[in-house]
Amino acid sequence: MNRTAFLLFIFSLVAFYLIGSNNEASLEAYEVISEEQRDSLTTERAYEQVMNVLMHPRCMNCHPTDDVPKQGMDRHPHYFGMSRGKENKGFSVTKCATCHQEENNLNSGVPGAPHWSLAPSSMGWQGLSRSEIAQRLLNPETNGGKSHEELVTHMTEDELVLWAWNPGVDANGVQREKPPVSEEDFKKAVEKWFDEGAPIPSK
Amino acid sequence: MKIALKVNGEQHSLEIADENTPLLWIVRDLLNLKGTKFGCGKAACGACTLHVDGEAVRSCSYAVKFADGKKVTTIEGLRNEEAPHPVQQAWLEHVVPQCGYCQPGFMMATAALISKNQEPTDEDIDNNIINICRCATYYRMRKAIHRAAELERDRLSLSTKNIENGEE
Amino acid sequence: MAKNKMSRRKFLVRGGLGTIGVLAVGTYLFRNPIRRQIAGALNTADTPYMGDTSTPIIWFEITEENKVILHSPKVEMGQGTFTGLAQMAAEELEIDMSQIKVVHAQSISGNMDSFATGGSTSISALWVPLRELAATMREMLLQKAAEKMGVEKSTLTISNGQVSSGRTEMSYAQIAEGVEAWEVPDTPKLKPVSEMKWVGKPVPRVDLADKVFGAPIFGVDATLPNMLYGSVVRSSKIGAVYKGADISKAENMPGVVKIVQEDDFVGVVAKSFTEAENAKNAIEVIWETTKNWQTEDIRSMLEVGQGTPFVIQKAGDVDDFFGEGSLIEASYWSPIGAHAQIEPNGALAHVEKDMATIYMSTQVVKISRDEIAKRLGMDKDQVNLAPTFLGGGFGRRLHTPNGIQAAVLSKAVGRPVKCFFSRKEEFQNDTFRPPTHHVLKAKLDNEGSIEAFEHNVSSGDVAFGSPMVPGIAEPILGADLGAWRGGMVQYGAIPNYQAISWRVQLPFATSWWRSLGLLANTFAIESFMDELAVKARKNPADFRLTHTQKDDRGERLANVIKKVVEVSGYKDEVVNNRAMGFAASTDANTPCAQVVEVSIENNEIKVHKVTCAMDPGLVVNPDQVKAQCEGAIIMGMSASLYEKMEVEDGALTPTIYGPYQMAMMKHAPKEIDIILLQGADSPGAVGEPPLGPIGAAIANAVFRLTGQRIRRMPLQDHLQV
Repeated sequence: MNRTAFLLFIFSLVAFYLIGSNNEASLEAYEVISEEQRDSLTTERAYEQVMNVLMHPRCMNCHPTDDVPKQGMDRHPHYFGMSRGKENKGFSVTKCATCHQEENNLNSGVPGAPHWSLAPSSMGWQGLSRSEIAQRLLNPETNGGKSHEELVTHMTEDELVLWAWNPGVDANGVQREKPPVSEEDFKKAVEKWFDEGAPIPSK
Repeated sequence: MKIALKVNGEQHSLEIADENTPLLWIVRDLLNLKGTKFGCGKAACGACTLHVDGEAVRSCSYAVKFADGKKVTTIEGLRNEEAPHPVQQAWLEHVVPQCGYCQPGFMMATAALISKNQEPTDEDIDNNIINICRCATYYRMRKAIHRAAELERDRLSLSTKNIENGEE
Repeated sequence: MAKNKMSRRKFLVRGGLGTIGVLAVGTYLFRNPIRRQIAGALNTADTPYMGDTSTPIIWFEITEENKVILHSPKVEMGQGTFTGLAQMAAEELEIDMSQIKVVHAQSISGNMDSFATGGSTSISALWVPLRELAATMREMLLQKAAEKMGVEKSTLTISNGQVSSGRTEMSYAQIAEGVEAWEVPDTPKLKPVSEMKWVGKPVPRVDLADKVFGAPIFGVDATLPNMLYGSVVRSSKIGAVYKGADISKAENMPGVVKIVQEDDFVGVVAKSFTEAENAKNAIEVIWETTKNWQTEDIRSMLEVGQGTPFVIQKAGDVDDFFGEGSLIEASYWSPIGAHAQIEPNGALAHVEKDMATIYMSTQVVKISRDEIAKRLGMDKDQVNLAPTFLGGGFGRRLHTPNGIQAAVLSKAVGRPVKCFFSRKEEFQNDTFRPPTHHVLKAKLDNEGSIEAFEHNVSSGDVAFGSPMVPGIAEPILGADLGAWRGGMVQYGAIPNYQAISWRVQLPFATSWWRSLGLLANTFAIESFMDELAVKARKNPADFRLTHTQKDDRGERLANVIKKVVEVSGYKDEVVNNRAMGFAASTDANTPCAQVVEVSIENNEIKVHKVTCAMDPGLVVNPDQVKAQCEGAIIMGMSASLYEKMEVEDGALTPTIYGPYQMAMMKHAPKEIDIILLQGADSPGAVGEPPLGPIGAAIANAVFRLTGQRIRRMPLQDHLQV
């Protein structure tokens, strides 16, 4: 009961913040996919959905091309000079896990998920176009030797990937923005796109 | 939730109502070890740094449930009974602290550093020691970190010799 | 300082368990009207000690182990004052450094400084009084020893706290044992500096071991049996006035003991820190605000010409020169600065029926005590303010409403309550370093010397509005002495100069921040001096030297300039992509000159080396004076290069380290060379003066590297890449 009251309060705080700050980015609604659309989800549409998620800061921030993790919707460099380190997990002593645990910390606002780390540098996406990102994603030489099947599993089951839809609160207790496609629709889009052989539209 | 912790070598079994309570407050207020400091509560300043199973963590952002069954070391447990820890010895030699408040966090981060790297370069220090000191004692701290590493090297080579000589 | 002399009289001693010749709980004598003190301070810039020095009894305690405990009315916030005071006292007490321990004097002892610990005055102000107290204590002990041994006092000798008649020996502890009344003799003659054993030596800090081994010495470490945790709701908005609160959700939160509603604030008392914080966050407070302030509002208020001007310095007549011709003019800005000390403000209060005890980190023991007594409606001597070690001071703890709030919460629940600020509250409710705007004007003659120079500084308040400076002082002072600190022209050989301080009252609290106006004023003046040197095609250091006047003050400044040039090998050129930058300042009679070596790497200003020559007069502890210089240089570097607070939608931001960028290990110069000159016989200011030159020195180096004259702090933000 008390916890519920607390959560309600947090929720109202968040709502207040969103309304008060008139933050368009935060208010960006999910691209809702209707039943008919879902049934008729085209490969192109699925691809767009997948890429809309991958391009979002919740995903992109940990796929840097300069070895520096990013933070926030403005994708600023991680404070205090944190960097990739040897195994994508920070420096030898001060590493991701010094602050990031296996789940979000609601007291500190430090996000967390299992095996919190940067994507390997071969999977750096920042600054790349959609099709370039897709190419890196599909290429076993850059994606860590993953087959399409393994990619689907990774993208729909890995807890660190799915953290994007459970991003917790920031240092001020404000809910982080989620990607513009719901978790469920993202999974469907991933499956659809790979079912069709993961074609990259030529534009 | 029942939590079993070994803190500075001493076993504790704690009944904790909120398992998400930061380890910092368990150490400070339940176990009354005040050496680990509260600075920001957001894992930003590093004043609360301690070791969990030998790894440096920022305890203000570390739910106590994650420490269950683990070994925790705080500044109070850094030294052994005979002598100051090499980091503490180096800090004494270089008279590093001013106000002193952030220093336990820095010393714990440094102790973790030299346990893994006995020859840290300036770059290693810059990368790994990223706590905040408002008195800005960084100049002496860098010297003390190099000195601590040197003391640690001496200690390790001494214990290697002792093993070679069959003294251990 | 005849008024501080001790007169011959008797003091009754009340013994306590475990100690022998103990602290008397004396009556505090406030004999020095604060106005005269301030006027005196303004005239001489040497702030005298403002506490009771009439008897050593409230200063020293002798333990059974023959150690002397010095009860210090000055607090230790990292500046090393405890160590310097111990050295000074040990000198006259004839004891070893291992025999002296320093603790904070609690207010109930009567040993209180009615001013503050701040302004780089602790060692300089106590230099004479403390040694006199120690010498008097020594004579009192000798007198008792003579009586107990039945010999003439003049035949006794002392070594390490052991008094010997040649035949018998007694320790100070044995001498003091059983003494019920002490005769206080006239003040003895002090030992000359040449005979001193501890003063001038780099003895290790007396608090070193506590700080290295993690002893619970700070305000937030204090605990009492049966203690609860408090938390007070603070507004994040500028100018918000408390208008009541809805506590219905918070009341039923886990661990909550009581919600305390006062006319001016609401707070929670709970069983743990996290429960108190959670409940606090569930209180819905009604705040009344009048305006949604933005950084731009503050900037426009601040422009020179907007506030109230007051001429603080004038020589010759600049107006004769500024009318026509090649006037050189520039405008400089500095941002709002946060204290960002790592220990949050807080207090542990235990308010009982007839007695209240408050443990807290404060720089104003007496003011904190008086404010708490007033709020509780208790007599001042019913409140014991027990200062703790400060986890950083920097002027942040010259305002202490946190003590009042803890006391109110404790009184409400009848148990000890500890509460402290969250980091967000620290950042948003700070008493900030005020932002400043500077307009400088000058005219050079045909030889490239300065004919006329004017500095205008427009600043938010520093001293004004502070509890330490009563409102009545404002019309007497005219201009805010904190805001104009470092704002006067230090080159007395300029024939015509003036400095004008413009007062602007900002909508949020601004006040004392280590070195006060020195940081911003020196940044502006010494950057502008560099602009003039460039215009005059002179070496910047030589250019300064041609404008220092031929008196003691001018020569001390010239000496540090010459010294820093010599030691650093200062050259006005770029070598291997590194440039040297020069600047100098005089703060509270301490001149300081610095040369920095700077490069720009990956668009970042990088300071590699700092050479600093400073003349603080006689140095009590060279190692700790150097430590203060090193720290002040890096803190000043941090403030000049990175730090700034903004005003967004009525709130001060950011609210956490990181976004509030500060210097870290990787930014700190790897080489710092400190050279101490001694141009005076007694100790002067140390803790703040070295913050002066660093910002301008870096900016001047950046100009040489890039041709960019950055006239706004933080410099890194304004570097065009």
